Amino acid sequence: MSTSSNAYGAGIMAKTGKAFADEYFSEENQVVHESNEVVLVLKKSDEMNSVVEEILLGDRKADNPTLIVEDRAGYWWLKATGKIEVDCNEVAELLGKSFSVYDFLVDVSSTIGRAYTLGETFTITSELMGLDVKLKDLEKA
Amino acid sequence: MAISSATKAATDALAVNRAPVSVGAQEVHRWLQSFTWDFEKNRTKYSTKYKMANDTKEQFKLIAKEYARMESVKDERQFGSLQDVLTRVDAGNRVHPKWNESMKVISNFLEVGEYNAIAATGMLWDSATAPEQKNGYLGQVLDEIRHTNQCGYVNYYFTKHGQDAAGHNDARRTRAIGPLWKGMKRVFSDGFISGDAVECSINLQLVGEACFTNPLIVAVTEWASANGDEMTPTVFLSIETDELRHMANGYQTIVSIANDEAASKYLNTDLNNAFWTQQKYFTPVLGMMFEYGSHFKVEPWVKTWNRWVYEDWGGIWIGRLGKYGVESPASLRDAKKDAYWAHHDLFMIAYALWPTGFFRLTLPTAEEAEWYEANYPGWYEMYGKVYEEWRARGCEDPNSGFLPLQWFAENNHPIYIDRVSQVPFCPSYCKGASTLRVLEFNGKKHSFSDQWGERMWLSEPERYECQNIFEQYEGRELSEVIAEGHGVRSDGFTLIAQPHTSKDGKLWTLDDLKKIGCVFADPLKSL
Repeated sequence: MSTSSNAYGAGIMAKTGKAFADEYFSEENQVVHESNEVVLVLKKSDEMNSVVEEILLGDRKADNPTLIVEDRAGYWWLKATGKIEVDCNEVAELLGKSFSVYDFLVDVSSTIGRAYTLGETFTITSELMGLDVKLKDLEKA
Repeated sequence: MAISSATKAATDALAVNRAPVSVGAQEVHRWLQSFTWDFEKNRTKYSTKYKMANDTKEQFKLIAKEYARMESVKDERQFGSLQDVLTRVDAGNRVHPKWNESMKVISNFLEVGEYNAIAATGMLWDSATAPEQKNGYLGQVLDEIRHTNQCGYVNYYFTKHGQDAAGHNDARRTRAIGPLWKGMKRVFSDGFISGDAVECSINLQLVGEACFTNPLIVAVTEWASANGDEMTPTVFLSIETDELRHMANGYQTIVSIANDEAASKYLNTDLNNAFWTQQKYFTPVLGMMFEYGSHFKVEPWVKTWNRWVYEDWGGIWIGRLGKYGVESPASLRDAKKDAYWAHHDLFMIAYALWPTGFFRLTLPTAEEAEWYEANYPGWYEMYGKVYEEWRARGCEDPNSGFLPLQWFAENNHPIYIDRVSQVPFCPSYCKGASTLRVLEFNGKKHSFSDQWGERMWLSEPERYECQNIFEQYEGRELSEVIAEGHGVRSDGFTLIAQPHTSKDGKLWTLDDLKKIGCVFADPLKSL
């Protein structure tokens, strides 16, 4: 079981019964607290299983040590601090077939954070895109 | 055969300067930005008190060609799974009977929400001025049409390939008698399509979609799988692949008004009203469906709510917008109390009113009662003991002559309907954040369960005129109302709703109800 604070059952979620209720109803938890995390839900599929196992938890694992991936039956639940990025050119190379960022979006089930595409890269970030950071267009060739 | 001189000339020219055979989608997207509209004289049918900026972006840079290709792949995968492997393995009959009943409610109700979201996003297209924002809304209109069909297909599939079709098919015919329908229309219809366009976006996209679709459409699939249902994950996770663009649309709506003076005046009130409106219904209904409508439990509903609603939506969406003046919703404290208790309160009332539904409910078993008490300390004393009494009085048996509704009357615990949310509540027997408030307007009494709905009503009392079942059917006998409201199966006398899911249990009929002699009364008349 992961000890990361980003894990599905981390923090208060590890508590049960009265211990959970005490923290849940505590005064400091009656307002929202700003979070720098992002959540990504990937529908399980041939391609997404490869993305998760071979890229995010494989070749690119060292890029994002805060990333947690959990198996929730029909989907992969991912949480990380700051951002999660997937370069679909890498996915295409891994799969041995054409795979655009729009092929990737076929099985991206949910996002909590600001998600966007630029070229063949999919990004979900905690940054406030369009407010703190400008959303870029593809540069002219 | 010799080719003509014209063909030869064309072939030669193309050999020197080849016509492009493809263009990158995002290059096209950038090129399309030069095609804007003149908004000087823009006249929208749906006004807003906010001024939406016209330089807002669409985060996924989607063009019609890629959109259509992407959606067709989604549909091929979804319908391929349903019509091939899931039918071959008889997936419809592998679903636990209790969960089969939950999906009657979840998919039928979501279909209504998706249908109204078509109109909502069309309205937003009309109100926005930024071309990219319009592009995002337009994609969403098309998505919502897809989702409406998908939800309808889930119930069609359960009807055709599953067990106990009554209620999966044609649930809408019971909409006049079922008290859950009207509350659902408040969140899924009125909240999305009536009033200020940006306020509707906050209801639909920033709260409904960015917050509550995660438990409603994502987390639900884990409960479904645990209870043998693989159809729902196949369809709902595919629906949710469009929702991330809708969440982005909601966020960009906020971006478009962030620098408008009106935002500093109204945004927090609109956000709080939207949050309360959506949570008031979703929180108890989803909790009830997950916990009381399942045999195998994934986790306590309050934990699901705490993760997706409080920590992630609250922290990642609302918390991050704090520096732009967005505040924690003032109603959050009451919402958290509801997330812990309100679904237990609602199940108790729903079970008491079971004949008015289009689904079957089951009282918790002894094993489930232990689970509830372990996760919600105090549950047994409040609810478990009462269920033991109801069961001992034969509430599942048509020959018992006992409806749990009688228990509420015998113990002087009247059930009211909140005028704004249309959610039933029993102020003298509940642990959620409900207290009775009664106001009179134009000679008519109105009951409210909380200060948040009461405040909304006070600012627009004419908006909340929907009659509840106690007013609509006052003085009428229950079996007559059920028959009139199409609450019976195809034999014309067996009720669609039942107080158990046992295959061996007897099914209640109109005659069984009639013998009890239950008559609707409006509790507000006796105040």
